[in-house]
Amino acid sequence: MDLSRIEHTFQDGLLGRSQDILRQLRGNARESAETMFAVYRNAYWSRLAEALGNDFPALKALMGDQAFDRMARAYIARHPSQHPSIRWAGRNLPAFLAAEAPYRDEPWFTDMARFDWGLAFAFDAAAAPAAGLANLAGVPPEFWGSIRLRFHPTLDAFPVSTPVDEARPRLLENAAIALDRQARCARAIMVWRVEHDVRFRAIDPLEHAALEAMQAGATFGAMCELVARQAGLDAAPARAAQILQGWLEWGAVAIVEHDELGSAA
Amino acid sequence: MTPRAVSSLGFGLGLRPQHYPVILDGAPELAGAIDWFEILSENYLVDGGRPLAMLMAIRARYPVVMHGVSLSIGSTDPLDMDYLARLKGLAARVEPAIISDHLCWTGVAGINMHDLLPLPLTEEALAHVAARIDRVQAFLGREIALENASTYVTFTQDSVPEWEFLRELHRRTGCRLLLDINNVHVSAFNHDFRATDYVDAIPREAVAYIHLAGHEHNGTYIIDTHDRPVVEDVWQLYAHAVRRFGPVATMIERDDRIPPLADLVRELAQARSLAASALSRPAEVA
Repeated sequence: MDLSRIEHTFQDGLLGRSQDILRQLRGNARESAETMFAVYRNAYWSRLAEALGNDFPALKALMGDQAFDRMARAYIARHPSQHPSIRWAGRNLPAFLAAEAPYRDEPWFTDMARFDWGLAFAFDAAAAPAAGLANLAGVPPEFWGSIRLRFHPTLDAFPVSTPVDEARPRLLENAAIALDRQARCARAIMVWRVEHDVRFRAIDPLEHAALEAMQAGATFGAMCELVARQAGLDAAPARAAQILQGWLEWGAVAIVEHDELGSAA
Repeated sequence: MTPRAVSSLGFGLGLRPQHYPVILDGAPELAGAIDWFEILSENYLVDGGRPLAMLMAIRARYPVVMHGVSLSIGSTDPLDMDYLARLKGLAARVEPAIISDHLCWTGVAGINMHDLLPLPLTEEALAHVAARIDRVQAFLGREIALENASTYVTFTQDSVPEWEFLRELHRRTGCRLLLDINNVHVSAFNHDFRATDYVDAIPREAVAYIHLAGHEHNGTYIIDTHDRPVVEDVWQLYAHAVRRFGPVATMIERDDRIPPLADLVRELAQARSLAASALSRPAEVA
């Protein structure tokens, strides 16, 4: 058996796909090759499950240790890590929970996994200075409609149907806390980082739609029209301005751009 | 920056996030107690945030060694050039005294098992690993050091002991060795050979630095857990190694159940004291 075949067969043994590798292995004077190979096999599954527990602490608290471990092993079997850093092993976990029975029937799981992952992403994503309200002060009123935003590179925003933003801090403090698992809501969560501090904020669906539009490159003027369609013409200007001001105050925006005198727009 | 002479590094610790604040506070009891830190490279192959900021603040005060777990030098998958490029980028920022990884493979078919898996000790594996070390060293523009991993199985087709395999890798490629004394002890017990035979076969000039760590003894085999203090047998093997290799950079590695930094500093002081004692009595070489 050549080296490549040895490695593939060894890995198949770790993944539980075949036991053929045992014929190539020796144990020691006290233990069989099978027992000693099990050290590797057990370490593989427990190491990945532990790493997922570290990256999804609130999901683990929500599910309980045993249920989380069972889920983690099912996930690892479906999505083996393909990244040099174990830190990225869980990147497909929210989608896995959303798609796979029985987890897909409990929206809390997918929402909490998405929230945990957003926080982990923001923790060490690329740094950038944040723009502030002062960046708006210099925009002449006639050019406000042309404002475009480049958001902070750590920003992640996603819809949830359960109040995981309220439950997460309580769960991390006490995993045994009683949650109303029937609770549902319509909101989105923004996660980003200011300096080294990861922040999050729940936003309503209208603000999330405005955020998605401006993340896709829409101008503030276009965002105002979007807000007007949902909130009404009278309320739109104040609501749109409030949304924009919030993002800037929170440090979720990196760069404010706008047309200037003589520009094509 | 020219890498520092390895023997001048002294006594170091693995850098762990739990210890960032106390290290950066510059507590008086740390003064002179820790000469350098080893980082787990993969933890800092990120784009930004607290880990990189802490690392650079600590790097401003201490020499740093980069220690990786995903080079997968023994894998028959292609070398991961994206990973190597990021590693080289981190090295450009950190200016490490040494870049190390393990004699192992971590996966094939695009999968990373995140474990240090054993290689058959054959001429085929030796040629394969040596060729990859050459490519990695050429890409990084410097020597790397490879660590002997603890192993739990051997292969029926093994043709040489691990120490000969390492010695030959060093001869063919010029790579250095990160000699993990605990891992020698663990593998010696697991595979029924004498740990001192291993240490005595390693060329003096090959050793870049030494790891010390704790393990879990299960009676019939030992698991390399890095979650507890160094045991007496490993201290004795370390003293034997110091008598053989002379003053060599040494560090304590703790990866789980991380104690307060002061506990590790006490353990490091024990290493420092033991090394001084061993060097003062070279005649006791076994």
